[in-house]
Amino acid sequence: MAKNDLIIRVAGEGGEGIISTGDFIAAACARAGLEVYTFKTFPAEIKGGYAMYQVRTSPERIYNQGDTFDVFCAFNGEAYEVNKHLLKPGTAFVYDYPGGDFEPEIPEGVIAYPVPMSKTAKEMKSYRSKNMVAMGALSVLFNISEATLKQVLTNKFKKKGEEILNFNLQAFDKGKELGLALQKNDPWRVADPSDPKDVIVISGNDAAGMGAILGGLEFFSAYPITPATEIAKYVATHLPKLGGTLIQAEDEIASIAQVLGASYAGRKSMTATSGPGLALMAEMLGMASMSETPVMLVDVQRGGPSTGLPTKHEQSDLFLAIHGAHGDAPRIVLSVEDVKDCIDMTVDALNIAEEYQCPVLLLSDGSLAFSTQTIPRPDPASYRLVNRKKWDGEGTYKRYLITDDGISPMVDPGTPEGMHIATGLEHTETGAPSFKPEAHESMHAKRFNKIKPIVDRYKPVEVDGDGDADVGIITWGSTIGVAREAVARLRAEGHKVKGFYPKLMWPMPVAQYESFAATCKKILVPEVNYQGQLSHFIRAETSIKPIPFTICGGLPFTPIQMINKVKEII
Amino acid sequence: MSVAALHKVDLKPKDYKSEVSVVWCPGCGYHGILNSIYRALSELGVDYANLMAISGIGCSSRTPYFIKSYKMHTLHGRAGPVATGAQLARPDLAVLVTGGDGDGFSIGGGHMPHMARKNVNMTYVLYDNGIYGLTKGQYSPTSRPELKAYTTPYGGPDEPMNPLLYMLTYGATYVAQGFAGKPQICAELIKGALEHKGFSYVNIFSQCPTFNNIDTVEYYRELVREIPEGHDVTSLGAAMELARRDAEGHAPIGLLYKVDRPTLDERLHKIVEKVGGHPGYDVNKIIDLARP
Repeated sequence: MAKNDLIIRVAGEGGEGIISTGDFIAAACARAGLEVYTFKTFPAEIKGGYAMYQVRTSPERIYNQGDTFDVFCAFNGEAYEVNKHLLKPGTAFVYDYPGGDFEPEIPEGVIAYPVPMSKTAKEMKSYRSKNMVAMGALSVLFNISEATLKQVLTNKFKKKGEEILNFNLQAFDKGKELGLALQKNDPWRVADPSDPKDVIVISGNDAAGMGAILGGLEFFSAYPITPATEIAKYVATHLPKLGGTLIQAEDEIASIAQVLGASYAGRKSMTATSGPGLALMAEMLGMASMSETPVMLVDVQRGGPSTGLPTKHEQSDLFLAIHGAHGDAPRIVLSVEDVKDCIDMTVDALNIAEEYQCPVLLLSDGSLAFSTQTIPRPDPASYRLVNRKKWDGEGTYKRYLITDDGISPMVDPGTPEGMHIATGLEHTETGAPSFKPEAHESMHAKRFNKIKPIVDRYKPVEVDGDGDADVGIITWGSTIGVAREAVARLRAEGHKVKGFYPKLMWPMPVAQYESFAATCKKILVPEVNYQGQLSHFIRAETSIKPIPFTICGGLPFTPIQMINKVKEII
Repeated sequence: MSVAALHKVDLKPKDYKSEVSVVWCPGCGYHGILNSIYRALSELGVDYANLMAISGIGCSSRTPYFIKSYKMHTLHGRAGPVATGAQLARPDLAVLVTGGDGDGFSIGGGHMPHMARKNVNMTYVLYDNGIYGLTKGQYSPTSRPELKAYTTPYGGPDEPMNPLLYMLTYGATYVAQGFAGKPQICAELIKGALEHKGFSYVNIFSQCPTFNNIDTVEYYRELVREIPEGHDVTSLGAAMELARRDAEGHAPIGLLYKVDRPTLDERLHKIVEKVGGHPGYDVNKIIDLARP
């Protein structure tokens, strides 16, 4: 039986071309008009170590990396050792043999395809062609369109010259011959090509960079940190084309300080970091709250605390993002579900910072950072850009003027008669320091009240399903994509389940949470952290009594994990 | 500072005073430094709407409140990077950072090298009184070990740093030192710093009559020596030799070093030029790079 929704996992030693193999297959499928969702893990080591790349492809929309793979291609013995417990009856297993560094035991029911990748590459006198041989074999075994794969390879290698291109294509063809010589005994095949769609294939981090470009960003200050650095690379490459600049600061404290300074001076500014960097930025984010300066940052979460699991997936910065400052420091926290959100919500976050004149934190995560997905090609004209409210030049300028909506007009330096101070001290409407009780109380009220309306103004929380349900799943970040599939599959089995997918994490849209929970007998909150951080906020801010469901093994949820949990509590 | 911000207006030193009353103790050297800043701004004719005065935390970091200009009063130790962001955002405006020895060289010490080596086009005036004044008298990175202070009741356990050597080593392109008791010299050095294109650093010795009872006006008068005429300000070696102090331990006052080097904003602008960047660039070209 043919199966259209297919998951192929390729694994081996870092540096063997695992990542490029995955990228080529993903691009070829996207070119063939299919949807793609990739997932990869790579070592924290500088060179070598275990690397894994998984491509899920289907003609239908894909929301997550899937339960497990259907096809596994092992480049070396370590890759086999790491994954052998996942080889199940029906799994297709392609491996480097003979001539590789291992001879696997084939579990019962696993369909084995030995392909002498290393040996063939050695015969061609280029170890680097090993992944081309593998790709050729995979192409014929699993119906990955040869035409689009070759187009992708040609695009990649033609820059390096005719000789290199032809050599790689030859290696690919050798792999194809090896694949053709094997007896196909499994049902797995990539869906046939359809009409190409108007899509791009992009990773979460690159998408956040693209969102910054589309959002009218003018200044970016970066400090390198895994897994966020690709955002800075993307912006450094493309922002100068629009006349803006990225600079690399001496540390994260300096990055956020430069962002604050540039924003004060009138530029739309941001930075990107991960948990350790965000921890260092906490004091300056408080300054941005107090001085009402628009600043935006992307936090690509990783396993923590401390150095933690730098390259692994976790959703554990919600506490830090919402409350990581001294004093009462209002901020707005958003979180993305998928790669498309990484573009759209980076634009939103830049807009919201300008509109509400406060820090805005956009949370992404480690698996999304490197996951490439097919998404509709963004149309720049479809994005509405918001700029800060400016002083009209009338009367005497007061930087912290109390207004009906709490938003005080700003003025750019260089404007005559607009001189004022941005200060971290408590102050009056003019910015003059004041430690009087009425100043602190009225300014606190101003700073908190001005962000309240976002609860109603920002897009309503998406509710997946109608009517009453036995179990309602509330989740956030990239775990939403897993919940979507779990809810659909459970519903197809006849269970009454619903989903609730917030993107605005703080301030919390409490009324929406409450009305959702009112339709569900039980509320399950799956999230990838130890403490159940969203569950904590739900208990603190609403009357809901959620059932936390937490994992923290450095990997995202799978749909089947969530399905089993729902069945357990239903 | 930016040349565009210079020679615009005809204002007297008092015209740069803000409406906020100065809060420093009587007898503090900072009064003299502030007057030197007013005088330098007046002599250069800086339009105050084109000036961004930025500080961190400390007695000297209150300075922006007393200057009529755009200004930011930021976090302890962070004036430098905030000012760097502001300067890069608006390279057409003048940026003046003021702060103390604790703010600049202790908590903010990690930023100093990078402003200097990147040659950020701004002026940093560091009020060096060898003490934390705002927190009522603790030992600072420029305190002498003899100083018995709030947290060092038996004297200090470590050697003071040499701010001039530090800034010269990291590549500041204008390095000078003054003494608050000689306001005319201070005004000249600050004026030169504001006129200089690149990162200009002026270290100014100041007495703190309230908390530092050993670095008195009399002590500084004995300590400082004006740099002799004929000193080659383009020689890093000669500047370092002066900064090391002479055999009797005298500290130089005057201009030690001044050279020209491309500034950070100029270098960033070059990158934009290199890629032919402009605000009207068609972003569709960037998006299409992500097609499969």
